[in-house]
Amino acid sequence: MDQDARLDYLIDYLLKDNEKMKQYKTDTVDEKIALFRALCNIRQPEPISEQFVKVQDAFLTQWNNERHVTSLHDLEAIQPQLYLWQGDITCLAIDAIVNAANSEFLGCMQANHQCIDNIIHTRAGVQLRLECDELIKAQGRKEPIGKAKITKAYNLPSNFCIHTVGPFIDQRGVSPLREQLLASSYYSCLALADEYQLGNIAFCCISTGEFNFPNQRAAEIAIQTVTEYIRDTRSKLHVIFNVFKDEDLQIYQTLLARKE
Amino acid sequence: MKKRGNFLFIEKNDDVYTLSMTPELQDDIGTVGFVEYMNEDTLNVDDTIANIEASKTVIDLASPLAGKIVGRNEVAISEPTLLNSAKTEENWVVKLTNVDEEAFNLLEEA
Repeated sequence: MDQDARLDYLIDYLLKDNEKMKQYKTDTVDEKIALFRALCNIRQPEPISEQFVKVQDAFLTQWNNERHVTSLHDLEAIQPQLYLWQGDITCLAIDAIVNAANSEFLGCMQANHQCIDNIIHTRAGVQLRLECDELIKAQGRKEPIGKAKITKAYNLPSNFCIHTVGPFIDQRGVSPLREQLLASSYYSCLALADEYQLGNIAFCCISTGEFNFPNQRAAEIAIQTVTEYIRDTRSKLHVIFNVFKDEDLQIYQTLLARKE
Repeated sequence: MKKRGNFLFIEKNDDVYTLSMTPELQDDIGTVGFVEYMNEDTLNVDDTIANIEASKTVIDLASPLAGKIVGRNEVAISEPTLLNSAKTEENWVVKLTNVDEEAFNLLEEA
């Protein structure tokens, strides 16, 4: 099966549960990928056939590796143990990437939504939602803000995903509690990475996207929390600050250069 | 004497320390819809006292002090919005004993 045939198979399988999605156009490969992604995004965490997983894994492996994959060796430390890298976090081949999750914990369920939770789940594969569902069911309640949970990363080039829910900023703005909860998200991820004896971890800019945390303040908290954690626990973790927007790149460059 | 820590008030009456919601915490989390207490009776600093699901957030309340739980606001389980009340007799969370008075004195004044 080539990629096109795999996509046809996957879409066909998923459409059986979602007849109404048949209206989507599938003339080009990009349109097929968009439909496949949408169908995976809205899919409830229900059991799936082994054959589907096999075809999906083959498709995702190739799709994920068509891009330039970056590992820690490709990066230069900006400070001891600290790295700054701009790009799509799903292109990293490292021990763990951090996902900015929400309290439902099942991954973004909006079709083709442009958020990190969506692309991580899409490129990891449907198994990720199934594992998250097991974790959250075992917990018996929604995921609190500022904690962290680890899962496999499935088809992503990295080994693990660490999921944390950052604070949401509404019209009342940033508050001391929300600042502390953001710090807590970073701290919980680092502690979990060390508990699993990982060598490196990449953080996205937690809470800054959909959750509206001001970028500058979020970056200050991120760097301060990581720096203090490494100093206080003598952790050997190598930490990548992964930014996506130019604005965040500027902010982190300035902050990390200043601390030298 | 009244202190604050981890976004909670701590009021000392003899050997009993009552932890209750601060207005800041109430504003940050929104209307409380669900409260679940942890089963352990002994708390260390920063241990979770209760899980709260509110309109704006899902949060674990962390204890500012170590101690032994001698009372929980059980009414708040069936009536979670009590935790949004302005009155301490309604918005209290737990009562602790065996608290290190020195640790209490070191907390920020309320």
